[in-house]
Amino acid sequence: MRPEDRQQAKGVVVTDAIVMRGVSKSFGPKQAVIDMNLTVPRGALYGFIGPNGAGKTTTIRMVMAILFPDAGQLSVLGRASAVESKDRIGYLPEERGVYKKMRVGAFLRHMGRLKGVPGRGLDARVRAWLERMDLADCERKRCEELSKGMQQKVQFISAVLHEPELLILDEPFSGLDPVNTRLLRDLIREQHAAGRTVIFSTHVMPQAEQICEHIVMINKGRKVLDASLPEIKARFDPHTLLVEPLDGSAEGVLAGVDGVRSVSRVDGALEVALEHGHDPHAAIRAIVRAAPVSRIELRRPTLEDVFIEIVQGKATNGDEAALRAELRGEAEAVAAGEGER
Amino acid sequence: MNRVLAVAWREFVSTALTKGFIIGAVVVPLAFIAMIPVIVMLTMSAKGPAVEGEVAVLDRSGSLMPAVERELSQEAVSQRRERTAKAAADQMDQINPLGPGAAPAGSTEAALTAALGSAPRFHVASLPPDADVEAEKSLLIPTAAEQRRLAIAVIAPDAIVLAPDAKAFGGYELFVRPKLDDRVIGDIRAGLNAAILQERYRVNGYSPEEIRRLTSIAAPETREITATGERSSTEGLTAMLPFGFILLLMISAMVGGQYLLTTTVEEKSSRVVEVLLSAVSPMQLMTGKILGQMAVGFVLLFVYTGLGTGALAVFGLTDLIGPVKLVYLFVFFVLAYLMLASFMAAVGSAVNELREAQSLMGPVMIVVMLPYILWLPITRDPNSTLAVVLSLVPPMSPFAMVMRLTSTQAQEIPTWQVLLSIAVSAAGAYLSVWAAAKVFRVGLLMFGKPPNFRTLIRWVRMA
Repeated sequence: MRPEDRQQAKGVVVTDAIVMRGVSKSFGPKQAVIDMNLTVPRGALYGFIGPNGAGKTTTIRMVMAILFPDAGQLSVLGRASAVESKDRIGYLPEERGVYKKMRVGAFLRHMGRLKGVPGRGLDARVRAWLERMDLADCERKRCEELSKGMQQKVQFISAVLHEPELLILDEPFSGLDPVNTRLLRDLIREQHAAGRTVIFSTHVMPQAEQICEHIVMINKGRKVLDASLPEIKARFDPHTLLVEPLDGSAEGVLAGVDGVRSVSRVDGALEVALEHGHDPHAAIRAIVRAAPVSRIELRRPTLEDVFIEIVQGKATNGDEAALRAELRGEAEAVAAGEGER
Repeated sequence: MNRVLAVAWREFVSTALTKGFIIGAVVVPLAFIAMIPVIVMLTMSAKGPAVEGEVAVLDRSGSLMPAVERELSQEAVSQRRERTAKAAADQMDQINPLGPGAAPAGSTEAALTAALGSAPRFHVASLPPDADVEAEKSLLIPTAAEQRRLAIAVIAPDAIVLAPDAKAFGGYELFVRPKLDDRVIGDIRAGLNAAILQERYRVNGYSPEEIRRLTSIAAPETREITATGERSSTEGLTAMLPFGFILLLMISAMVGGQYLLTTTVEEKSSRVVEVLLSAVSPMQLMTGKILGQMAVGFVLLFVYTGLGTGALAVFGLTDLIGPVKLVYLFVFFVLAYLMLASFMAAVGSAVNELREAQSLMGPVMIVVMLPYILWLPITRDPNSTLAVVLSLVPPMSPFAMVMRLTSTQAQEIPTWQVLLSIAVSAAGAYLSVWAAAKVFRVGLLMFGKPPNFRTLIRWVRMA
């Protein structure tokens, strides 16, 4: 190893939690991850987003050294593989489960021991976390007696019990009710505030929007976006206006306004798409002059819009509707509703 | 290492320290052993119903009827039954592993007499020599009204006196009604046989007493001379001991292996496995699980060898096994278990549910069971080519070698063969753990189509 290389490796140790260089992985004929380049700095709060089957879980599993890449290089917390730094990583897998017959307290103590938490103080730590998660009375219960949401909270505890430097949460919100979703969101922010690197994946874009500082978007095994949230908002400049006209005749009038590409009716309001590069402020002024309106606003691009825009070249309209539904978590809400019954 | 031990400890606790295991693997077998005498007593005291009915005799020899009537009387029949019971009881006392006299005197005999039931009551009817045999036979077919005739015996004309130029005596034909208790048929035949013999003796002028004296030989039980003294022969034990050992080895290894399969499949199907893999490597997980279940196997092995040697010690037969053999037993247990367990771990990691594991396990079980099936030839001649070959080919080697070692035949097993068997088994164990680790690593996160052997082999090559 040349001195400058060593220097560089050292630099990685200091600044970056995860570095991936040209990482690929395929299962038989299916390419799950293709040429992934990624750097997650220490202390960052990253969201991996993308639809189901995009390659998020495979990427995370490679970071966790549960799967091994076919090609490319990878370093986690400055080590060549997570195998050497497992104790410093907390992981909540997407495919998660508990020992059904084990008692909650015993399960968490077992996981703590496996994660190298010293035996002394382990009990107290487990109890404190159960208290924190509103599960204090569950310590002596068997895991199978808990509801799915409660089990998920137990698993979250097992991921953070050893106070890891890097916390990886794969779809942490799936199956949680709004109260627990908020609790988990607060906990993630708290872990981030404590200086830990947090990565979580979700296919529900609004959740990512609420929490993340930085978004990595994955689609069909490829990274399609890697930017901070403000950058994204800036880069995908708004070119849609939401207009509520005072009377119904405005639709035709608006179509004739300078810079307007198309007008469509959405939920009682009009969505006015502008031509690319057209100044939205000028358009607002022109519209107000052209027709009486009760409301007019610049529609901020959501992550969903951004995502759709990025992948649109490949998607037809029917696909887009389905994709949007999935990215809003609607499919999941339906599934969760079924689960409740 | 701590992690491996933590996995092993959880595995052990969740298997062995459960009510199910303690009751199923320890209490029930012990209770069963305690129950055996009771079960034997119950079976033995089950009586057949008393039978009463007519036995028609067509005596073509002309002189047999008085003897037949005498020998088929209830008194003669029950005397014969008692004699049979006594002979059988003596036989059983001989093969009782605890030695003759272990059972209270006469208890076996009493039990047998009881088992034979009360003697049937026969009414002997003499048919005229010109009776129509076919017509008489039809009377054996039960009607709704009555079914009193039990049997018809047709005595041959030359049954008592040799026909001119004949080399052998004639006998008799016996026809019985349907579904007659075979013990009753036995009684009738024994009575007829006795009557014919007695009549032949009488006609030829022999005294029955004389004949009995001439044909009986007094030969007490075989005694074995050992360094510590004289005792009854351990013939029965010679065959039973290796069987017991191999059963013990098999059960301990299988129970541990089976639990390993179950817990692995459970971890996989409950999806707890990925959580575990974030803390330990697949190799650590597998090692821990194998060690934990090995401890479970050891518990069984200790409990049962403890009981077994305890029982042998009570009857002063400890020299039959000896400490060296026990050490070998434990060594071979570890080797047999490792081969079996690594296979179970691999299968458990590869399938999605327990049901899918069955098809993969069948062929391997047959291979492992082979020495078990061949226990008789192996123990009879522990140095035969078959036995030597089996004891040197994994995965049968540990089982076959333990059988050879515990065989109480006089032949010594060459030490080099024992050591070679250990070495070969150890190599087999190493190889199977190595291959299992590869399958384990790939299999744990594979869901979907249940794999077959070819897939498993591909995974070994791939990883």
